[in-house]
Amino acid sequence: MDSKITIRIDGELVKTDRGASIFEAAKANGKHIPGLCNMKGLKPVGACRLCMVEVAGVNRLLPSCTTPAQEGMSVTIRSARLDAYRKQALELLLSERNHVCAVCVSNGHCELQSLATALGVTNVRYGYRYPKLGVDLSHPRYVLDHNRCILCTRCVRVCAEVEGAHVWDIAGRGIHSMLTCEMNRTWGASRNCTSCGKCVQVCPTGALAEKGFAVEEMIKRTASVERLTAVRGGGR
Amino acid sequence: MMVADSVELKREDREFIDSLVSKHRGRPGVLLTILESIQENHPQRYLPEDFLEYLAARMGIPTAQVYSVVTFYSLFNLKPQGRHTVCICRGTACHTRGSLRLLEGVRLQLGLRQEEEEGSADKMTGTTADGNFTVRTVACFGQCALAPVAEVDHQILGHVSERALEREVEHLRKGRR
Amino acid sequence: MKRITDLSSFNAAHEAGLKKLLPATGRIAVGMGTCGVGNGAEGLYHALSDGIHSRGLSFHLAQVGCYGPCSEEPLVNVWLPGKPLVILHKVQAQDVAALLDDLSAGRIPEELALCKVEEWDHITGQVKYGSGLPDLPKWNEIPFFTGQSKIVLRNCGLINPGDIEEYLAVGGYQALYKVLIDANPEMVIEQIKAAKLRGRGGAGYQTGLKWDMLRKAQADQKYLICNADEGDPGAYMNRNEIEGDPHGLIEGMVIGGYVTGATEGILYVRAEYPLAVHRLTLAIQEAEERGLLGENILGRGFSFKLSLVEGAGAFVCGEETALIRSLEGRAGRPTPRPPYPAESGLWCRPTNINNVETWYNVAPIVVKGPAWFTETGSPKSPGTKVFSLVGKVQRTGLVEMPLGTPLKTFVYDIGGGAPATKTVKSVQTGGPSGGCIPKEMFDTPVDYETLAQLGSIMGSGGMVVMDEDNCMVDVARYFIEFTHSESCGKCVPCRVGLDQMLAILNRFTTGKATEADLGTMDELSRMIRDMSLCGLGQTAPNPVLTTLRHFRQEFEDHLRAHRCRAGVCENLALSPCENSCPLHMNIPRFLELLKADRLEDAFLSVVMDNPLPASTGRVCQHPCDNRCRRSGIDEAVNMRDVHRYIADSIYNGGRYDEMIERVLEHRFPPTGKKVAVVGAGPTGLTCAFYLAMMGHSVTVYENNADAGGMLRYALPEYRLPKSVLDDELKLIYKVGVEFVFNAVVGETVTLNDLSTMYDGVFLSIGTWKETWVYLPGTELKGVLHALPFLEALSKDEHVPLGKKVVVIGGGNAAIDSARTALRMGADVTVIYRRERKDMPAIPEETEAAEDEGVKYAFLATPHRIVSGEDGGVLAIECAKTTLGEFDSSGRRKPVPTGEIQRFECDTVILAVGETVDLDFLKASGLKLKEKEKMLDVSPFTLETSRSNFYAGGDLISGASNVSNAMGYGKKAARNMDQKLMGEFRWPRLWPEFEYSMVPPAHVSESGRHHIHELPADERAKGFMEAVTGLTPVEAMEETCRCLRCDIREGNH
Repeated sequence: MDSKITIRIDGELVKTDRGASIFEAAKANGKHIPGLCNMKGLKPVGACRLCMVEVAGVNRLLPSCTTPAQEGMSVTIRSARLDAYRKQALELLLSERNHVCAVCVSNGHCELQSLATALGVTNVRYGYRYPKLGVDLSHPRYVLDHNRCILCTRCVRVCAEVEGAHVWDIAGRGIHSMLTCEMNRTWGASRNCTSCGKCVQVCPTGALAEKGFAVEEMIKRTASVERLTAVRGGGR
Repeated sequence: MMVADSVELKREDREFIDSLVSKHRGRPGVLLTILESIQENHPQRYLPEDFLEYLAARMGIPTAQVYSVVTFYSLFNLKPQGRHTVCICRGTACHTRGSLRLLEGVRLQLGLRQEEEEGSADKMTGTTADGNFTVRTVACFGQCALAPVAEVDHQILGHVSERALEREVEHLRKGRR
Repeated sequence: MKRITDLSSFNAAHEAGLKKLLPATGRIAVGMGTCGVGNGAEGLYHALSDGIHSRGLSFHLAQVGCYGPCSEEPLVNVWLPGKPLVILHKVQAQDVAALLDDLSAGRIPEELALCKVEEWDHITGQVKYGSGLPDLPKWNEIPFFTGQSKIVLRNCGLINPGDIEEYLAVGGYQALYKVLIDANPEMVIEQIKAAKLRGRGGAGYQTGLKWDMLRKAQADQKYLICNADEGDPGAYMNRNEIEGDPHGLIEGMVIGGYVTGATEGILYVRAEYPLAVHRLTLAIQEAEERGLLGENILGRGFSFKLSLVEGAGAFVCGEETALIRSLEGRAGRPTPRPPYPAESGLWCRPTNINNVETWYNVAPIVVKGPAWFTETGSPKSPGTKVFSLVGKVQRTGLVEMPLGTPLKTFVYDIGGGAPATKTVKSVQTGGPSGGCIPKEMFDTPVDYETLAQLGSIMGSGGMVVMDEDNCMVDVARYFIEFTHSESCGKCVPCRVGLDQMLAILNRFTTGKATEADLGTMDELSRMIRDMSLCGLGQTAPNPVLTTLRHFRQEFEDHLRAHRCRAGVCENLALSPCENSCPLHMNIPRFLELLKADRLEDAFLSVVMDNPLPASTGRVCQHPCDNRCRRSGIDEAVNMRDVHRYIADSIYNGGRYDEMIERVLEHRFPPTGKKVAVVGAGPTGLTCAFYLAMMGHSVTVYENNADAGGMLRYALPEYRLPKSVLDDELKLIYKVGVEFVFNAVVGETVTLNDLSTMYDGVFLSIGTWKETWVYLPGTELKGVLHALPFLEALSKDEHVPLGKKVVVIGGGNAAIDSARTALRMGADVTVIYRRERKDMPAIPEETEAAEDEGVKYAFLATPHRIVSGEDGGVLAIECAKTTLGEFDSSGRRKPVPTGEIQRFECDTVILAVGETVDLDFLKASGLKLKEKEKMLDVSPFTLETSRSNFYAGGDLISGASNVSNAMGYGKKAARNMDQKLMGEFRWPRLWPEFEYSMVPPAHVSESGRHHIHELPADERAKGFMEAVTGLTPVEAMEETCRCLRCDIREGNH
């Protein structure tokens, strides 16, 4: 059996590895599908829904990060409907918590911000929720600011799957979901945290950051983690 | 919330948890079943944090995961429950027959204010300051033909009117039960 | 207990069970499902047990599950040898003594009996009870059970769920035995496929295909899971199925295990069902003891283990991947598919999940074969489905019907429709994933695909019926509130989208919504539906999308008119009574003012809200009574008669002129605008009053010689004395309204004339045309029409009336005519084509008429009027009818029986209805509505297609009543003033009152003071007022009964 299959993306025929997801197939062929929760080396969860695509012959949208590409598939990754929905999803995220870029360490280097800019989000049509959320400064090297968190769970996955410490998880449910450190401890009081900082590097926004950086100064080194996971065998 | 590192659990509590772990080992749904048993067994019907830390250690589950499970499901209480529980059903049939008013009525009667409650106006769980009453809601008891339904101390009351519930709670308050 | 290992031990257990089902001593079985227990069945059981014991009787007393008709609980079924099984309903502990007396004497207590069962098909077996008791209907002859086909519920309510031998007695575990003996698992899967059994949890996927996939999967361990996490609010089928027949579920799963190669099964039952958990746990134990579960089942070498796990309160765990994660000790958040559970499920092993009800269908298909199964239901969806019919119907409970049965069968035939004074509005199907279907679409068959087309789903089978007291906006909000709190939080559309949706819906229910919100809600709904990760998010917008589609008017009312007609959204109304009043009178205020002994202030409050209180106080149909919260304690406050008392006291107390001056103090300065009102009926008078109070110069054109409209020319003297009306009209005159009498629009003055002479015109000419009815003989002498009859009498004209009068109709005009004719010395019979409870006339009037001697004939449709020799009326013939099918209005249609009834009479008065003068409408040049041929006016401003021309009252609503008419007049005045003056001045019109805003501290039960009627024989002699008002003491006591629902946190 051939190790490569052929699919069509936005009309163009491309080749990809058998077993790859549609997202991976697109990326390997230089086509960009938006996404915030997926990351090379971490198990894909399909949480942010920004990577949804249209597949000919299927009457519903599919999440490209968790859907395997199949021989002969015809995928549309940019369409008016998809872009409209992606904008809505980003606006929902921006309204959910307190994403005030002007005073954020990740301003200018934030995946949420970049994606919003790229997709043309200029205003948020929903009411801002302004939840009262805390900032955890107890760890000697890092900061957790819940106001910036988009619940993408990259930190949860990297800590559990790559570092093996499983310090983070999501507590509560629905709109009340919150990142929790162990049994709702402050980060500084964590028993299992190794201070490796992988969670900080994979965080797409300024929710997790290194101490000592001022506004606009926090530039993440996501690639460092990707290299690690590539060595490990992909984290799947 | 800071928890002291060396939490001493009473011996009988440790043994109780140990017995549950060995009884249910390897079974599907073991964590849920054990948590339910711990809660049922506790006189204040809740899951103290030290119990959870011990359980996590015994079962080899990350504490973050245990915490995630306990806070995900509505059944589990992280705070001590009142001596009496009044549970109002918020199912569809009950809602169309005015269960929201029952909830408001009992909250007013017991003087439960917003700070003592968790949740939104329609779904909540709150315990009075004196620890006597917990008022909570359930999404649906499955007693729809008896709508509106309230459960007082595990006794289901069907076709409950505001007056009837008020009387029931008053009886408990005055300890006449 | 002996293990069952072969046919003989099987039969031995079967026989032992039969002896318990049909004991020689007779048997009494109490329905002890949670519904039964909730209705007192436990106390009943103990009373029976004590009674049997103390009397030394030898009846076998058993506990059974629920038979289905939950609104009839507690249910007890009794069997005496040779007789049919009899189901007794609503049995109370105090009935026990008499019941035992009857049974020990060999008698069946027929007064408590609901129905009988002569023999019962348990599908896996048959039980013959006995014959006889011809007066009792068979179970499937009573309305609740007509058409039901008990396959899933085959054993519920009949066998003891705590005794495996009773299950064996009715053929239980025979299917398992057959499957194990045949040892051909592929064949069983083919049978399930051929039966086209679709998953009963809601998704409707082909069960046979799922089993096939699992069978083909290669792994060291495979799992079967039963999803008993029935989380839909309003659905409780699975609970009843498990409580009533736990072995049916176990057998299905063991068979499933054998044919798919799964050796372990898990029952995931929600913790909110403690009795179901208990019964299932016992049943598993029993089955294991008997060798029907566990190691080496039935000695055939197959082992299957069942364990029970309780859910912990998360609706989302009904989704299969979430359920699996939950069993793995994680939070119940759905995970991506692929991989599908059949490939990689619980702990990465092949897993199959089926809903409780799907499992119950397995044994029947194995025993009777797929061909039998496909005989019921629809081609794509064979078999039955159990539905929970709850909400605003007379008969609630669990109903098992073939798939494809139309909704109306459930609501009207089985459920009996709404009780007398209410109308069904919609049905919500499928729980929070479903939608609301309006009554106009009740012909829709209930099936997976058909409901999906309407935007709803069948789901797990919940059916919640709603009536006019349910607000559809509130229903949408309720469901979003539910899915929002049950959302797992993983994906953005559901987690944040539903939160934003809830915020918008909260704005609607508190009157703070904007136009943009309507569009945002629609757009957001579609996004959440298309982008969410799992079924919860994907279907959560359904209730919103369907209510927006089918009940958009309610959203617009909340948004634009700030009104919740159902009276549910409390922030949109002052109080329930105020909300229901067509004039939106501030009722708590006048009650409080009178209570404080401030009669004049109370009168000012009343008359500013309602310029004709003495009239409405006598004839209003009091919708406020239906909403008064006091009726939850004892009876509604008699608001109508208190406001009549206030008006009468001022008119008769010599303070009237003074009060008029007080009213005039609130009149606005002259605006210089001129307004014409056409029609001096209650609508026109009200509109004129308010416009004049706001400073406009108002002229009323009236084609009669005096003002009043129906109040003067149709309402008889004994209901509303002309002197009272004249008193009322003084106020209108004093406010400055001018009248032009004997003016006919179209002749004396045209609409175009009015348009040039006035800045605004209000049309309120009412409905004075008699509805035409096809009835041979209406041209005869002696046939009168109600309105001209009443009108002539009001003008003191002579009306030739005979001695034997028949009135056709059931509305207020008919009763007014009847009571009038009676007072003129005639013998009167009223003939109505439906039943008494359907009569539109106010019940007080119909009862008063009957007390006076008016006779009624119901379910009679006039056929022809028979002529006498002199060309007059001799008699009227009517076709007797009976009630047939329900029509789209939710009422049964009268259907002729073939019999003709003859009424001897010399006069016939036709009171079948009044309509709008169509000729006038056509000549007016104003736009009409397509179908109804009524004036097309904006529902919010009442403006017609012609600028500055407004219309209201019966003219646009059809024949209605005085208060509704006045409500239109008031609304029109408000809107006309806003347009004329370019600003909203209405709120400035109202006087401020200082009064207590403290609710009554202590409430004790008290009766309501009713009106005082003169004795029937006395009042029937003449036209004196038939009803006197409340005394001062009574009025005061009524005011003290008001609970002050207008007081909120924040305004006192």
